[in-house]
Amino acid sequence: MTRFQAFLPRRCLWRIVLSAVLLGPAAGAIAAGYPVVTNARLLHAASDNGWLMFLRDYTGDSYAPFREISTRNVSGLKPAWDYKIGMRQGFEGSPIVNGRYMFVTTPKDHLIAFDAVTGKVLWKYQKSLAGVGLKTVCCDVVNRGVALYGNNVYMATLDNYVVALNAQTGKVVWQKQIKPADVGYAMTLAPLTLEGMVIVGTSGGEYGARDFVVALDANTGREIWRQYTVPSPGQPGSDTWPKGKIYRHGGGSAWLTGTYDPSSNTLFWGGGNPGPWLARLRPGKNLFTDSLQAFNPRTGQRKWYYQYTPHDSWDYDGVNTPMITSLTYHGRRYQAIVHADRNGWLYVIDRRTHKLIYAVPFAHAISLAGFRDGLPYTDDAVRPAVGKQIFTCPSFLGGKNWWPASVDPATHMVYVPTIHTCMTMKGAPTFYKPGLPYLGETFKVVHDPNDSNWGALQAFDLDTGKRAWNRETRLPWDAGAMSTAGGLVFSGTPQGHLLALDARTGQVLWKSPKLSSGIIAPPVTYRVDGTQYVAILAGWGGATPIWGGDMVKSVANIPVGGHLYVYSLK
Amino acid sequence: MSIRLLQISAYVLVLSALLLQRAEAASPPPALYTRSQALQGASAFEWKCASCHGHHLQGGVGPALEGPVFASAKSGFTIQQIYEFLSVEMPAYAPGSLTRTQYLDITAFLLQQNGYPAGSRALTDRIASESTVPLLFQAVVQAPAGVAKSRAGAGKPLAIPRTNAP
Repeated sequence: MTRFQAFLPRRCLWRIVLSAVLLGPAAGAIAAGYPVVTNARLLHAASDNGWLMFLRDYTGDSYAPFREISTRNVSGLKPAWDYKIGMRQGFEGSPIVNGRYMFVTTPKDHLIAFDAVTGKVLWKYQKSLAGVGLKTVCCDVVNRGVALYGNNVYMATLDNYVVALNAQTGKVVWQKQIKPADVGYAMTLAPLTLEGMVIVGTSGGEYGARDFVVALDANTGREIWRQYTVPSPGQPGSDTWPKGKIYRHGGGSAWLTGTYDPSSNTLFWGGGNPGPWLARLRPGKNLFTDSLQAFNPRTGQRKWYYQYTPHDSWDYDGVNTPMITSLTYHGRRYQAIVHADRNGWLYVIDRRTHKLIYAVPFAHAISLAGFRDGLPYTDDAVRPAVGKQIFTCPSFLGGKNWWPASVDPATHMVYVPTIHTCMTMKGAPTFYKPGLPYLGETFKVVHDPNDSNWGALQAFDLDTGKRAWNRETRLPWDAGAMSTAGGLVFSGTPQGHLLALDARTGQVLWKSPKLSSGIIAPPVTYRVDGTQYVAILAGWGGATPIWGGDMVKSVANIPVGGHLYVYSLK
Repeated sequence: MSIRLLQISAYVLVLSALLLQRAEAASPPPALYTRSQALQGASAFEWKCASCHGHHLQGGVGPALEGPVFASAKSGFTIQQIYEFLSVEMPAYAPGSLTRTQYLDITAFLLQQNGYPAGSRALTDRIASESTVPLLFQAVVQAPAGVAKSRAGAGKPLAIPRTNAP
């Protein structure tokens, strides 16, 4: 099932041991040991020198307090090291860094450990997918990265395993399958480790799955709790579904990593689109699809929710990251959730009252027409039916897809990767069959008639809800954003450039040479021995080339192939 | 009837069902399409489907569409299900955008690549929409010299199924 290779030759090991003995711990070599990832370190990951989890820390804000690379000197960024991985599918992973160890996942669930300073490969692991058809993986066979706890590294796989490996050796410690493969479920997300648990969620909203979030014991893999995003009859929320068995295929996929608020001991996790896509087949609000869900992390019990799109018929997953921050709006201080939804609206929600503070559209938004008493309502005229084709915005790919936004506490801005797409959509006959999609709609992504570009990176001032700057691009903005205390926002382009922008103005201050492929991953940054590094995976793919309709032509000639690049000022 | 007799009858029934199933499994797969349709389908597949499913149907960002994992008894796909799905929802970038003939040709090509023989009758919309024939990968024997297993776009001769080669 597993393959493990140690890449340190014996001669090399002896040299490292000898160096460590002669130079002492100050030498900082990788042989000094693996820094154990404790609960305390995870709680303070924001100020850690590494990049300990998917979006750096539990807030999910993708903000690093590092200043070595700043607006003043970013033009001097140089390649530190790089590593050609290959493979022709999309690379959506965040490199995760602890001390000098970096962990990088690839499509089809390979995992590579590097020395984060030299780029030396320490070990490789490849999840065997033999006998797995990958029939119910919607949007490229991607993996978004690992989680860390203790001496282990955790990966979620396309065949629904959670695999725990020893971080120093790559040896499998345990693995547990949470659902069979190829019958509707898959996993592409980076797990979240929290208080001795490893927490993951399933994909499958396009395949008649009934999705869930599940917490496993990080030491053993034992299941601690499992919470479905679609309730069974009699459970809270079940009255928002038709009677009968349709809930069994109700979707609500939980395919992107959640966030955690220690002050209220609340785990936040998005619920994805309901299934089948055609809403007329499942009258009701269809909780807790397209919803922010607040869980007790010890039990999985749902504390409260906020539904972004009621009775969705447009595949507007509500899984985009619920970022935890505080802000001042109209003179009042709020503990907030900030979330840029697929439906084209930026939601700012009060974590204490669970009510909407405000919402503003960040993309052309027709389907989600507005808000009454803080709750969203939809435009019924753009609900498709069999024999009725509609035109609406955004497309099902969203005003923003999964690519992480970033919140910068210094500028009070949120940086939102954006795509300008609309779509036609029509009801279609469908049937449920395990292993096949379950949609009930046909569709085509087209240009937003109000915007001649496919993409943009936008900044919104969270204290006012107003757009601060907007960087429009001919091609879609398909990469994550990361901000730093150096006054910078980093993100990548389909053309294969890593950019550093001025966080206050959006001006491009540095642009990497053209990399070997386009970028759909989020950048990360880390520090070792006082040197700040920025790392990014290039490797075009993901949902856009598969589902992108008219957008596909514009990205058809982007070269593919994975390649890891690391930059620093030295 | 005694309990013992009931048990024996049940065993006989189960055994008969199993034998029947085996007999069905061993029977040659039906010829549901023409060679010409499969050739046209190979061309349409290359143009419309290969970017996601691979030039040899081996899979890429989308699943493989040939072989024992795709067309397995465990999956339990019928030809009707595959045809209905692909003619409504594929290709993902523009579902339903191909002609009826192209969808039938591509279905013929998928059948051929999974070891089903070509015949003299063309696959029609009606046949494909009603076919309860299971889609099960048929093992392919070593091709005779000069005959290679057909691959999309390669313009090579057709696959040689284990049985019932036309």
